[in-house]
Amino acid sequence: MLQNLVKSVWVPMKPYYTQAYQEIWLGMGLMSLIVYKIRSADKRSKALKGKIFASSKGGGQKTPSYFLRTRCPMA
Amino acid sequence: MNENLFASFAAPSMMGLPIVVLIVMFPSILFPTPSRLINNRLISIQQWLIQLTSKQLLAIHNQKGRTWALMLMSLILFIGSTNLLGLLPHSFTPTTQLSMNLGMAIPLWAGTVITGFRYKTKASLAHFLPQGTPLPLIPMLVVIETISLFIQPMALAVRLTANITAGHLLIHLIGGATLALINISATTAFITFIILILLTILEFAVALIQAYVFTLLVSLYLHDNT
Repeated sequence: MLQNLVKSVWVPMKPYYTQAYQEIWLGMGLMSLIVYKIRSADKRSKALKGKIFASSKGGGQKTPSYFLRTRCPMA
Repeated sequence: MNENLFASFAAPSMMGLPIVVLIVMFPSILFPTPSRLINNRLISIQQWLIQLTSKQLLAIHNQKGRTWALMLMSLILFIGSTNLLGLLPHSFTPTTQLSMNLGMAIPLWAGTVITGFRYKTKASLAHFLPQGTPLPLIPMLVVIETISLFIQPMALAVRLTANITAGHLLIHLIGGATLALINISATTAFITFIILILLTILEFAVALIQAYVFTLLVSLYLHDNT
């Protein structure tokens, strides 16, 4: 199946994937970087909200400082 | 009512597994590959349409720009077929998802910009300042041109998402209104039904026009950079 895939897809498309679309691959890398940044920011903010909620439920505990909140999400 | 209105835009799943990938890949099986020199009617019509569209789209491009011919034709065929299939009742339209459209717009736009900076660096940098700008306005105009450059992929994606989503929502609402009016007033329900038919015809046109606009704009960005 892999041989068939190589013969039917990779062989005719090789000049496109290797030469014509080089800039588009870079664009896809840029897009994946943006997706990664957005996802990690979302994870960090959800972890922080959970932490603030847990600490407010505990009662009497201080809210984590701005430094801790922005730089050490798992602290 | 609110939940029903947007339920059709939720990513579909079957037995807990997401089937979006299958739905995205589905339109490709509707375009058979020509295997003979002289093909059957369906493939001949398909080839004629592709030739007509590609001649029109690629007329403005130089040799470098024409290396993107396959990409541009695949783009217009994919978006057009996906939009048209989305007009079937109870079907899921991938192009209503902003994530999908950004996934198409950002790599293609970035590809055109990187092509421009790679092969024509001075001309690409010169795009940031229109000719004949007065000296005091230069800093502001450079900022405005930079913003307008980075807005391009967002505009591409949001335009397609908003047009297709709005059309589907309107069809959903007017279809619901027609059903609700049947028991109240048959004449009003009939008029609403006529409006629904006209709207569906409009949505067929919008589906094809939006595919053409998306591809044409990518082609124009490429033309500016090659």
